[in-house]
Amino acid sequence: MGIINYAPKILDPIPGGKYVVNAIDYVVNWARANSIWPLTYGTSCCAIEMMSSSMARYDIARFGSEVFRSSPRQADLFILAGTITRRMAPAIQMLWEQIPGPKYAIAMGACTISGGPFIYDNYSVVRGAQNLIPVDVFVPGCPPRPEALFHGLLTLREKILKETCRNPWQVGEPKDVSTMDRYREAAKTWAALEEMKDEEMAEARAKFKEENPDYKSSFKPIRIKKEDFPEVERVPFKRMGLTQSDIYAKLKEKFPAVTVHTHSEDPVEDVVAAMPADRPLEVMVTPEDYLPMVEFIKNDASLKMDYLIDIVGIDYDDHFDVVSQFRSMEHGHKLFLCLQLKKDFSIPEEQRATALLAHAPSISHLYPAAEFKEREVYDMFGIDFVGHPDQRRIFLDDDFVGYPLRKDFTHPEMIRRPV
Amino acid sequence: MTGMLPPGFRIQRETNTEEFFINMGPQHPSTHGALRLALRMDGETIVELVPHFGYIHRGMEKQAESMSYLQYIALSDRQDYLTAIQNNLGVVIALEKGMNIGVPEKAEYIRVMLQELGRIASHLVFFACFGGDLGGQTCLLYGFKEREMIHDILEEVTGSRLTTNFFRPGGSRYDVPDTFIPRVKAFLDHMDDTMKDYERFLSKNIIVLERSKGIGILSKEDAIAYGCSGPVLRASGVNFDVRRANPYSIYDSFDFEVPVTYNGDCYDRYTVRIAEIHESMKILRQCIDRFPTEGPWRAKEKPVRLPVGRYYSEIETAKGLYATYVVAATTGEKPYRIHTRGPSFPHIAALNKMVQGHKISDLVTILATLDPVIPEIDR
Ligand code: SF4
Repeated sequence: MGIINYAPKILDPIPGGKYVVNAIDYVVNWARANSIWPLTYGTSCCAIEMMSSSMARYDIARFGSEVFRSSPRQADLFILAGTITRRMAPAIQMLWEQIPGPKYAIAMGACTISGGPFIYDNYSVVRGAQNLIPVDVFVPGCPPRPEALFHGLLTLREKILKETCRNPWQVGEPKDVSTMDRYREAAKTWAALEEMKDEEMAEARAKFKEENPDYKSSFKPIRIKKEDFPEVERVPFKRMGLTQSDIYAKLKEKFPAVTVHTHSEDPVEDVVAAMPADRPLEVMVTPEDYLPMVEFIKNDASLKMDYLIDIVGIDYDDHFDVVSQFRSMEHGHKLFLCLQLKKDFSIPEEQRATALLAHAPSISHLYPAAEFKEREVYDMFGIDFVGHPDQRRIFLDDDFVGYPLRKDFTHPEMIRRPV
Repeated sequence: MTGMLPPGFRIQRETNTEEFFINMGPQHPSTHGALRLALRMDGETIVELVPHFGYIHRGMEKQAESMSYLQYIALSDRQDYLTAIQNNLGVVIALEKGMNIGVPEKAEYIRVMLQELGRIASHLVFFACFGGDLGGQTCLLYGFKEREMIHDILEEVTGSRLTTNFFRPGGSRYDVPDTFIPRVKAFLDHMDDTMKDYERFLSKNIIVLERSKGIGILSKEDAIAYGCSGPVLRASGVNFDVRRANPYSIYDSFDFEVPVTYNGDCYDRYTVRIAEIHESMKILRQCIDRFPTEGPWRAKEKPVRLPVGRYYSEIETAKGLYATYVVAATTGEKPYRIHTRGPSFPHIAALNKMVQGHKISDLVTILATLDPVIPEIDR
């Protein structure tokens, strides 16, 4: 880039010109290597360690990188701090293209090297930043300590210092590396090495025995004694508000169809009465009862479940469970409604993976909090919430195929955990 | 503007000025991570806001289904990494309910102390980012300064600065070292002085007052309806803290107050958090006085296998109500499904309500006082 790269061409033929080129190199490198301005970018945990490293204790300013720029057009260095998801990947490539050269990238943390903790059974994480942009330095760790980041920074500095006008910076290419293969290969090599080492050791031992037949080791193996811990009785946390039996009786009176899922033979009332104090009551609701019951528990003065904790979907072979969790701010008791939805098996089998298999009434007009939660359940399970004002995918792209939290979900990029 | 609106926007209104749309994020220094906000603007005033999530959706819940319970504790670190140590406890309590095992007294004290240290650390990051987002870079430096002291303690105890992965059913992974209590004591003494500085920086600062008083008001009804929790809910006048409302661990044996304010604006959310730091320090001092030096630091180790059933736990992290819902369909080491309810999700859901009618610069203030952590929303 730039006029400096022509310096060798012009100056080298002149006697003594190469010293001038060297001098230019020296000055340019000195300037470049000592003020690497990073881009303010961070998606998750590693970003916090990146922030820590720029704060008072670690003080990244010692290495000339304290000027975190919010605009890519002013940055030299892209510290990829945090997991990269498929949805974020285009944004990262765009940011990289907006940084003017010469530009460098540090992949910080296990996630950006290989996917890190999210490498297996995962449909949304990009396994390695080098698939997207060319990376100069990899800093391992989860998260890397600030010192490790500095080590990466200093390594990058060395790399920059090797650049000259004769060997200028060039934009690299992203490498398409399949992480999994590398791992399996590495594991194989490792095992082979271990085996070789074992053989060598055995040989050496045999040889030693031959040479010193009556050698006796004075070494005695020590066994660290395992500490003995007592068994401790569990004390259930305090109960607040109505007891489970009271809530159940109230519901039963109004909606005779409610039950509690139980494996024991005892009557349901006894099962409910025997629940530990800190276990919320979870009742099974039929789809017809669901909306009236939610309205009832919201408005009934003694129940007054005005707070929606969460809505959770669960996928079983032939049905979905949608568990809505409520709590009463005033009284403190909780109630979980488990809505069982039969899967619609009239849909042809090959279309099931992408079809909405069940329909449930939406409660977002009663609880505004439910709107986003229901979108999540819709996104993850493909359950249609009838009456939802804005049913769109929430975490995944609109063109994502399938519903990931169903048990039979597959994704072409998903690597299964080796067992 | 009437007629076709981009997805998510709903308000139909007539104006004689031209409305336009702004995209904020996913890479933006004040969205606290990979969050994208679509804004509908009338001049400089926000008409409507639509959050877009998923830029850091890491599929944790799918992954957890093929992991053991213990491995999920490590994943919970990575949800809300500012309160990693608290998330650990949330998961562990759910497992303990399933395994039906108790925790010895010393382990409970270790838990509570680390919880409160984590809470202070998280609130300090809030302080730093709140100051930083308002343009006061000094706060950034100060907030992180004391936080490093907490991280020193955490590192000494757990072996890791950020992703602690420390608690286990029945106790924790290790005993605390002998230096733990003196260190916490030294930290508290230091913190007493520093808090005065902190409050001098922001609490009476005219710029902060002008930019946060009366901004982003969330009424009590809305806060409950949207499922807000933690300091955001308490700033709106609801006295709800899981440590009091549904005490877990040994929180019911401590003497502390739940700070509540009633305006529901940005300044109140700030003061609630500052007051909470003081309360946490109060709890820590009580812990130091009563810390049992004798006795086992964990219960007998057992394989983590949960019987069939559904287990629910909730705790109060620095951000709010953190609930874990474990479904065990077969007795074994693997969950059938684990779901986490993070506190930040509902807060961002309520954001639209708060910003309407405010200027775009106020959005930054409001977002900072919600103190969201995006990976915990997306999971
Ligand atoms: S490497 Fe570890 S700490 Fe860093 S982003 Fe990934 S999970 Fe988080």
